Amino acid sequence: MEDDASVSELMPVGQRSSSIYSPVSNILIAWKYKFLTKNLVGRTVRGRYRNSMLGYLWSVLEPLLLSIVYYFLFNMLAGNPDRFYGVWVLIGVIIWTSFGKSLTATITSLSSNKGVINLIYFPRVIFPISQMLSNIVLSLMSCIVIFPILYSYNVELSLYLLYIPMAVFLSGFLGIGFGMIFAPLNCIQKDVEHLFRFIVRAGFFFSPVMWTYEMALERGTFGSTLLSLNPMVTPITMARHGFAGHSTTLPTFSIVYCLSFAVIMWIIGSMIFNRYERQAVKYL
Amino acid sequence: MRQTVIKIKDVSLEYPRHRHLLSMLTSKIIKQRNNFKALNNINIEIFKGEVIGIIGNNGCGKSTLLRVISGIIPPDRGECLVAGKISLLAGLGTGFSNHQTGRENAMLYGSILGYSESQMLEKFPAIIEFSELGDFIEEPLRTYSAGMKARLGLAVASAIEPEILLIDEVLGVGDPNFKEKSTNRIMQMVEGAGTVVIVSHSFGMLAGVCDRIILMDKGRVHSIGEPKEIIRNYYDLE
Repeated sequence: MEDDASVSELMPVGQRSSSIYSPVSNILIAWKYKFLTKNLVGRTVRGRYRNSMLGYLWSVLEPLLLSIVYYFLFNMLAGNPDRFYGVWVLIGVIIWTSFGKSLTATITSLSSNKGVINLIYFPRVIFPISQMLSNIVLSLMSCIVIFPILYSYNVELSLYLLYIPMAVFLSGFLGIGFGMIFAPLNCIQKDVEHLFRFIVRAGFFFSPVMWTYEMALERGTFGSTLLSLNPMVTPITMARHGFAGHSTTLPTFSIVYCLSFAVIMWIIGSMIFNRYERQAVKYL
Repeated sequence: MRQTVIKIKDVSLEYPRHRHLLSMLTSKIIKQRNNFKALNNINIEIFKGEVIGIIGNNGCGKSTLLRVISGIIPPDRGECLVAGKISLLAGLGTGFSNHQTGRENAMLYGSILGYSESQMLEKFPAIIEFSELGDFIEEPLRTYSAGMKARLGLAVASAIEPEILLIDEVLGVGDPNFKEKSTNRIMQMVEGAGTVVIVSHSFGMLAGVCDRIILMDKGRVHSIGEPKEIIRNYYDLE
């Protein structure tokens, strides 16, 4: 131990850095506690498909089955617009799930770790961060399904495919920002959690999961207003363009909007989380 | 002069009774205060090298006090100062997950307790040895008996070497054999650590190891002093 000599001075317990610096300090903390973060991620990833015969295969099957349902639904309602339509839905589902799971998991990150929180202190921001990272890992595992599809459609492999993991990260990051704002509140009132489960379901239809960016542009004003406000448009569309193997045709504005949206959410989320987490855990 | 390692100054803590936003708001507005007072104006000073026992009836704030000292809950008023690395030993095996192997769980628990990866790898042979699990360490935790889980938990938890050790009722779990082993191990830790605070109901043990005992009653410090005398005070409470 380094601080052995003269045994350190009296310091207030549980002193945390001021919440103004928290957007930066939270990242440093996650790095400092990387062993813990890694183990918590491992626990969540292992736990997700426990006691199931197909195991991790479910991370691929889940989006695949959902896409098949939407594919047929859409075919019945609107006729087949595009030979890639099934793939677009699949990518949309994967990216949207990455956002949705990351959001709900960060919101419940404090309340579901009640046992640990009540017995041991370490910076609590580790909980939302490890929840987000485990969802990113699971979403990246779902992305494996894209390779056989690329092969069957005879699409060439290109570096643009990297858009897909980037989109997974971006959507996960959008999720944690929102989630951290409400995680302390969810310790007091579980309603938050239920409300957000609903919001994630409803947001599915307001984001280009079943439809695409290009389809919305054809719809005129309504479509483009929706597109300019929804930060999830960028990651989903980016991933699709990556699959198609070309640089994204999204306007620079939407990319900048989405990135700054994610960063601002992270800043607000970190500040609120660090400010209220101490009081909120009393309710656990 | 003896060095103070824990200083608790005018610490008060209330647990909120209201869970509903609406009733929280109304209680704020009409300034009605019916929160549960878990700690009420606590002043304690603990010196380096002391072994302190805390006794009292259930719900008197013993565990809450340990949580305040270890930083889990911030006090509402007052402040708690500590010098040195502090560790709370409570509920062996916090965060264990049944579908991972014993090794993975030991790593997870170790990291929760604040070890780095290299420290954990270094301590690992000793942990396996103490837990007496042998090759079972690679099996999933769900195949373990309760006793095996407890041994693994204690093996990891007792590898910590804090300057200040807080113990909350972890003694006396499992079969008599393990109970003896765990008690011995914790006694070893108590001797090894610089300063120890123990919450317990086993007065015999406390009288044996403690330099001073604190008696708590309804969130207040009733008395502090000589173990025998304070234990007598406890029986006079009723």
